[in-house]
Amino acid sequence: MLAQKLHLLRHNVLSFVSSRTGSDFTRRQYDVIVVGGGHAGTEAAAAAARLGAETLLITQKIMTIGALSCNPSLGGVGKGQLVREVDALDGLCGRAGDAAGVHFSILNRSKGPAVWGPRAQLDRERYRQFIQSELLSTPRLTVLEGSVDELLVSQPNPEEPGHHRVTGIRLVDGSHPILSSSVVLTTGTFLSGSLFMGQTTSPGGRMGDAQSCAGLSYTLKETLGLRVGRLRTGTPPRIVKESVDLSLAQLQAPDKQPTPFSFLNTHTRCKPEEQLPCYLTHTTPGVERVVRESVHLNCHIQQDAKGPRYCPSIESRVLRFPGRRHQVWLEPEGLTSDLLYPQGLSMTMPPELQLRLLREIPALHRAEIRTPGYGVQYDFVCPTQLTPSLQVKSTQGLFLAGQINGTTGYEEAAAQGLWAGVNAGRTALSLPPMALSRTQSYIGVLIDDLVGRGVTEPYRMFTSRAEFRTYLRPDNADLRLTPRGFEEVGCVTLRRYKKAVSVRDGLQEALMALQSVALSSTRWREKLGNISLSENKSTTLNGLDLLQYKDVSFEMLASAFPECLSQYFEYSQRLKIEAVYRPHCEKQSREMERIRSEESLSLPSDMDYLSLPVSLSQEVREILDRVRPNTLGAATRLPGMTPAGIIHLLNYVLRTGFMHML
Amino acid sequence: IFFVHRASPSARGLCIPTRAVCDAETIFALSSGHGRCGVAVVRVSGPASSMVLRNMAGLTQALPPPRTALLRRITDPKSKELLDRGLVLWFKGPHSFTGEDSAEFHIHGGPAVITAVLQALGSLEGVRPAEAGEFTRRAFHAGKLGLTEVEGLGDLIHAETEAQRRQALRQMDGELGRLYQDWSYRLKRCLAHVEAFIDFSEDELIEDGVLNQVDSSVRQLETEIERHLKDERRGERLRTGVQVVIAGATNAGKSSLLNTHRVPPSRGTTRRPLVEREGVRRARQRVEQADLTLVVVDSTQLPPDPQLVAAFLQQHLSTVLPSPEAGMTAASDKVLLVLNKSDLVPEEQRERTEGELRERPGLPPACFLSCSTSTGLEDFLTVLQSRVKTLCGDPLSGAPSLTQARHRAHLQQSVQALNQYHQYRDQDLALAAEGVRLALTHLGRITGRVGAEEILDIIFRDFCIGK
Repeated sequence: MLAQKLHLLRHNVLSFVSSRTGSDFTRRQYDVIVVGGGHAGTEAAAAAARLGAETLLITQKIMTIGALSCNPSLGGVGKGQLVREVDALDGLCGRAGDAAGVHFSILNRSKGPAVWGPRAQLDRERYRQFIQSELLSTPRLTVLEGSVDELLVSQPNPEEPGHHRVTGIRLVDGSHPILSSSVVLTTGTFLSGSLFMGQTTSPGGRMGDAQSCAGLSYTLKETLGLRVGRLRTGTPPRIVKESVDLSLAQLQAPDKQPTPFSFLNTHTRCKPEEQLPCYLTHTTPGVERVVRESVHLNCHIQQDAKGPRYCPSIESRVLRFPGRRHQVWLEPEGLTSDLLYPQGLSMTMPPELQLRLLREIPALHRAEIRTPGYGVQYDFVCPTQLTPSLQVKSTQGLFLAGQINGTTGYEEAAAQGLWAGVNAGRTALSLPPMALSRTQSYIGVLIDDLVGRGVTEPYRMFTSRAEFRTYLRPDNADLRLTPRGFEEVGCVTLRRYKKAVSVRDGLQEALMALQSVALSSTRWREKLGNISLSENKSTTLNGLDLLQYKDVSFEMLASAFPECLSQYFEYSQRLKIEAVYRPHCEKQSREMERIRSEESLSLPSDMDYLSLPVSLSQEVREILDRVRPNTLGAATRLPGMTPAGIIHLLNYVLRTGFMHML
Repeated sequence: IFFVHRASPSARGLCIPTRAVCDAETIFALSSGHGRCGVAVVRVSGPASSMVLRNMAGLTQALPPPRTALLRRITDPKSKELLDRGLVLWFKGPHSFTGEDSAEFHIHGGPAVITAVLQALGSLEGVRPAEAGEFTRRAFHAGKLGLTEVEGLGDLIHAETEAQRRQALRQMDGELGRLYQDWSYRLKRCLAHVEAFIDFSEDELIEDGVLNQVDSSVRQLETEIERHLKDERRGERLRTGVQVVIAGATNAGKSSLLNTHRVPPSRGTTRRPLVEREGVRRARQRVEQADLTLVVVDSTQLPPDPQLVAAFLQQHLSTVLPSPEAGMTAASDKVLLVLNKSDLVPEEQRERTEGELRERPGLPPACFLSCSTSTGLEDFLTVLQSRVKTLCGDPLSGAPSLTQARHRAHLQQSVQALNQYHQYRDQDLALAAEGVRLALTHLGRITGRVGAEEILDIIFRDFCIGK
């Protein structure tokens, strides 16, 4: 009965909820409700369900679950690390990328394995299919089509901090509420979203989709009193492939051998020879001219909502850096798609001018547009109002992930979604929330930056944000996260855990084997031929020492000591990387230790800094009051915080027994 | 309620060594108050503490029994020069304030002695000056502090960091501050450019030349910092005195200046007149070695047209001072111009000349004075005093020696870290960048912390990143 009121699209939903019995449609109580079916929402729902929570995913359109709203690609420098980590915690996007990729490459190949950026162009259709079928086969997960009108909140649990407690949601046209212990909001650009093209503006979060969630915006702002800010983003026009003269663009071939994102995969669905190329071309002075002539017809570019500095529209690029050539990548949209995606040409001018602009580029001189580019402005919730578990500090059981927290990018969204889903599930199952350390993962860096410092522009991951970049590498994400994900968090399945443990043990053994072979540098030179070793002749070096050298590969060592090393051939690349970085990571470990112990001292979220009876300057009090750091570690990173202030805080926390130290 | 800490041995990533593998750094600080005092206490904490005692207190064999004062000669570990005679104490961990192996030096409270001891400590491998509050932090992490102790120490550290902050502010206003800020700015740009190359060059037009520019900037910085470390003799000056040379033509008034007896016999300042009629070559050599040169000019010899005076003095200096290649130019802060016999010049001409010289970059400060009437002598002494203070640090304000030793250690570590950049430049850019980052972290301990956002700001300002 409720099902009808909830506007279930039966043909879709039946296939979606096949793991459930029919009577479950009428279920009105879940452990976790996830609102939104994008990268954050799907990861959140899947993670909560993996944890054992009865989970409901509500989306405006079931068909758009797993849709790539903007660029048809995944990964890259910094982002690829996030994908590897989400995969290590058994998330979806890594495997989806392996299933949908049509062009794989490792970026930064020449710059050192810590900053390698695994990346793939995707087939949109395959990606969507993979995500949808994954959700379908996830036990305890139900998908429902509908628009959420209202968040239901009640009195808080007095034993925990917060002014409200979330109790469920109400749909736009459903009179019955659906109840839950936790709710994860992943509404993307739909929070008071408006679309811009030329001089026209319309409400919405994505072209062709339903309107924004006005009711939700109201609840968040008015009922819960959350501070929101406004950001903008945009997407380029999609171009008909046939209309492009690709002979005038430079062909960019993929890697000969695709490298899978997922630790579970040894190869990708797309065969090496089936991969599609990308094309590189450049803007011309004509492009700049069209932009300048159309500024007065372009509302979006005149608005002052903050856009990202690193993913600007072509308009802001040429206005900020005039007189330059800018790169434009022409990317495939899929194996069967007849479209190309012009990366770097996000634009919001009127459609007829978009066409004029494109045709100023030689390869696009006859280009036809299938759908024009447009801009979006949307509300985000200032993420300093969240805890490191991505829960809203003032509202028990409410979690936020993705663009609603001021980030941009699929990978950033997926990472938060997974972690919000984990904690929503844990809360529903009465388990304590968890945080990830910035010393252990890019996900930890991402969340710590968001909740600790907030955002002023859409936040994107860069490797330079991670202090411990040489440890947080794409190659070791499984060792860093998978065992704990299983043993402590509960979001990793047994199969993946076993695999990670066997890899870990294998590597450990191999490292010991390497250390067990020791020779003088003279003897090494005799065995390995002409290699340059800086040590003097009599120094004894073991295999691991030797592997640090640029010219030495594991294969060389294995051929010198086949009896004890050849069994570890499968780890040769990982061993080489480990050998090079190990000494540096060891040097950093003290700093890591310090950050971790400070992260483990949590500060109560309702602390009254302004009247705290300790000796703190007014300036420091105001900073603390504004940002309300979650941990002593976050407090030390605040600009303006003094060592003495930290000691006073520490003292207060100790005295009042607020400390939680593991 | 946190996920992160205390990994079980099995969950430990391959890269995280156990504590035993990774020794904590050893730190030191002046633990007694700043300023002049009878006895100063320098505290050392960390695994190298016993090494420090052995090296500086001449305890080659056994360490003293723990918590027992021992009178020792305290020597520089490198030069073996005697620094002071004082009490040393040894605390074996965990029975110490920080819970780590610790040592204390109770030495005489004069700034020169403190400077010398702190600099000697800073020159030891693996030993560095403590950050504000670091002893307390270590004690806290070792479970050594009770509530009341933390509270009391908070105030102490507050006092200490306030003093440091005020001191840092003072220094940052000065020439030295500008120098460090300039290095920090250039290092930030280097890092931003490497980071831009790492994070964006695959998608954006970031010219390959960027890294070559960084190469040469890093090299330039290394050279400058190293030169600075060599040049900086302030601590030594404090101990050995400032060498002042009075130079000038015959009858300009050198001896009169010396004989006014009004040049303050300020602490440690030795006066060494430049004997007349010394060969020009020897004279120049003396000037080259001097910490401060007073060039005395007979005012009556100045051109009567004030507009021509600057050029005249410029010319005069080039004959008195060593060539610019020797690292000494007229603009150097090591020179003062004394325009003697001012009583013999018409007052109007003097005033106009003074006005003219005030706005001259490239010329050292000039003071009109008359040795016979003492007119202008007070002003000259003020200028001289401030010069000497700059050269030695001001022993009366705060603890310049402490800051100095800190600076020195951080600068040395900066240079070391920059070496890592070159070492890995072609092999692994992530590790090369790590070197620049580390150098910036050390410099940041002097000039203020540099966060990731600041680096990103430079990236987005300098490059068109638009993926």
